[in-house]
Amino acid sequence: MEVLLQVLIGGILLGGLYALVAFGLSLIYGVVRILNFAHGTLLAVSGVLASLAYSGWQMHPVLIVALLAPLLFVCAYGYYHVLLRPLARRSHFEATVGTVLVTVGTLMILSDLTAVAAGATQRNIPLRLEALEFGDIVVSTTQLLILLGIAVLTVVMHLILKRTWFGRAVRAVTQDPVGAQICGVQSTRMKALTFAFGSATVAIAAVLYVLSFPVDPYMGFGLTVKAFTIIVVGGVGNLPGALLAGIFLGVAEGLTGLYWKPEWAPALSVILMLLMLVAYPKGVGAKT
Amino acid sequence: MKKLSHLLAAGAAALTTGLTALPTQAAQGSCSEPIVFGTTISETGPFSTLADRWRKMTEVFAEEVNKSGGIAVKACNKKLPLKFVVYDDQSVPATAVALFEKMATVDKVDFFVGPDWSSLGGPVPPVAEKHKIPMVMANVATPSVYDRGLKYVWGTPFPVVPNWSVRYFDMLSKVSPKPQTIFFITHDNPVMKGITATWSKKAEAQGLKVLGNETFSSELKDFTALIAKVRAAKADVIYISSYDNASVPLVQQMRQLKVRAMDVHHTMLTGALSRQVGKDIEGMTGELSWYPGVKGAYSDLVETVMKRSDVSMFDYIWTLSRLTSYLAMIQGIEKAGVVDREKVKEALFKATIKSPAGDVTFDERGFPNTSAFTVQMSGGKVNVVWPPEVSTAKLVWPSPSWK
Repeated sequence: MEVLLQVLIGGILLGGLYALVAFGLSLIYGVVRILNFAHGTLLAVSGVLASLAYSGWQMHPVLIVALLAPLLFVCAYGYYHVLLRPLARRSHFEATVGTVLVTVGTLMILSDLTAVAAGATQRNIPLRLEALEFGDIVVSTTQLLILLGIAVLTVVMHLILKRTWFGRAVRAVTQDPVGAQICGVQSTRMKALTFAFGSATVAIAAVLYVLSFPVDPYMGFGLTVKAFTIIVVGGVGNLPGALLAGIFLGVAEGLTGLYWKPEWAPALSVILMLLMLVAYPKGVGAKT
Repeated sequence: MKKLSHLLAAGAAALTTGLTALPTQAAQGSCSEPIVFGTTISETGPFSTLADRWRKMTEVFAEEVNKSGGIAVKACNKKLPLKFVVYDDQSVPATAVALFEKMATVDKVDFFVGPDWSSLGGPVPPVAEKHKIPMVMANVATPSVYDRGLKYVWGTPFPVVPNWSVRYFDMLSKVSPKPQTIFFITHDNPVMKGITATWSKKAEAQGLKVLGNETFSSELKDFTALIAKVRAAKADVIYISSYDNASVPLVQQMRQLKVRAMDVHHTMLTGALSRQVGKDIEGMTGELSWYPGVKGAYSDLVETVMKRSDVSMFDYIWTLSRLTSYLAMIQGIEKAGVVDREKVKEALFKATIKSPAGDVTFDERGFPNTSAFTVQMSGGKVNVVWPPEVSTAKLVWPSPSWK
């Protein structure tokens, strides 16, 4: 029983992180309609940068987020305008294939450049707080704080989307780009801002991730697949749904390791995604 | 004009004949030329982090050997200087094959040393066999590589799988309190699985009860489920059979989740692991082929070479295998007493050669019997703790950091 509880707690903590990775991707796909295959790699590379900042200059993780998030925002804004926006003028087929090529190419270039510059070995932020023990169950205080941070961030992002002009504009573009344009929302600018905002959330996810698990330049694609799974299960643009789906995935991976074999846990997300696509093509909690 | 064309034709024929008749080897038996070893090093590519300082180390090795005159050749009644031809194989098997072919036919080296890694050790030996050039490979530890009836190939990997933890299990049988149970955690990799398969059987034969064996993939980042099983088993010894990089999150999460044991043993306790997990490595035991301070044949030479080339054994744990491949070839030549490939081949067959870590004996396949010392991390330093006669520090048992 203690073992099962331990695994469930671990799964919830891990799932929270997965959900955070999926938030930005979900937002980007919901508004910009681009499957950003480089999203997970952006997290991996940001995680490497965060680890270097921590080990090299002893920067506090909050400060690292404060520096990384605007940096990613600016870079992603420029990236969208230079590489992705021109594809919108192409036919639907060419634009779809083009975005896949651009984002997959970015994934490969980012990974290789980071590996050359910082090495391909795993890195993390070894900030360790005393764990809590309840009999045979041990709960990492660091991961509990991370989960709390994720919950707060989910609420904040949810409020931004529901209560602010930016959020309303984002939702308007998602639902009806032409109608939003007529009402004065510049859909192209909103798409660029959403792409930049979704990418900036990666900075937060990256720092929280490297506080718990190591990252390396080549691990990003696996995270992207997990994030896609969460979007498929939780529904596009549904942040609370993404959080629940993330926790579901994290717990499922933990139980796979417990009752079957740990080496099968990474493959589980793909199997889940396929099953969910067959059973619920629009997602369990799909929102438009 | 006709005369001229005849002359040209004769010249061309002579040139062609001369080229095709050129010997594919150096002047064997010469007492006036240096002895040339040809090798490749993975200076770039995925294995480069393990070997990127070895070119400098190889140059320094030759300098140090030549300081005392070189390699003693009885037939010449003098020592001949040692020279290396070194290329970067880029960690790519096809590149390594092409470079060894080039060294045999263009550079005309006398003998081959290296290469490293089983992926290169598979395709490269046929080049040595084709040109009948004796080759002592370095870090090629897979036994099946040697099971192909090779006549000109030997290897000096430290340690080989059947001897990997021989000294550690000897230690377990002699420590007090004596451990009763063991739990294996295995990286999903053929070499690591081979180590677990070998040593779980030997553990049982030694009276240790094996409580479990969990396998994990390189991609796994969350080890909670695996660690929960390990914690529930309450084993006295936890044996991690893994490459260093893959086990970083495992070690960190074992600390976070307060795993307790008499000892946590890692088959690759390296500088890279230490740098990545920091203090979490404290108290762990592991294997190291040799460590400066442990005296043996050629240990002074090896220490000097490593110091001059700024190679740390803890950071470059495969260094002894590489240097021993050079030492083995030198001893083969000295035993043969002549710079003759066939004679050197005969001298190396089932030979016993000297190394800083003790005698290395080749079986009829050219496979060695190398083993490793048991080390323990203590106060941020790596110490040899077993066998006691060569230890650089006393074993701390049970490990206080895993209480």
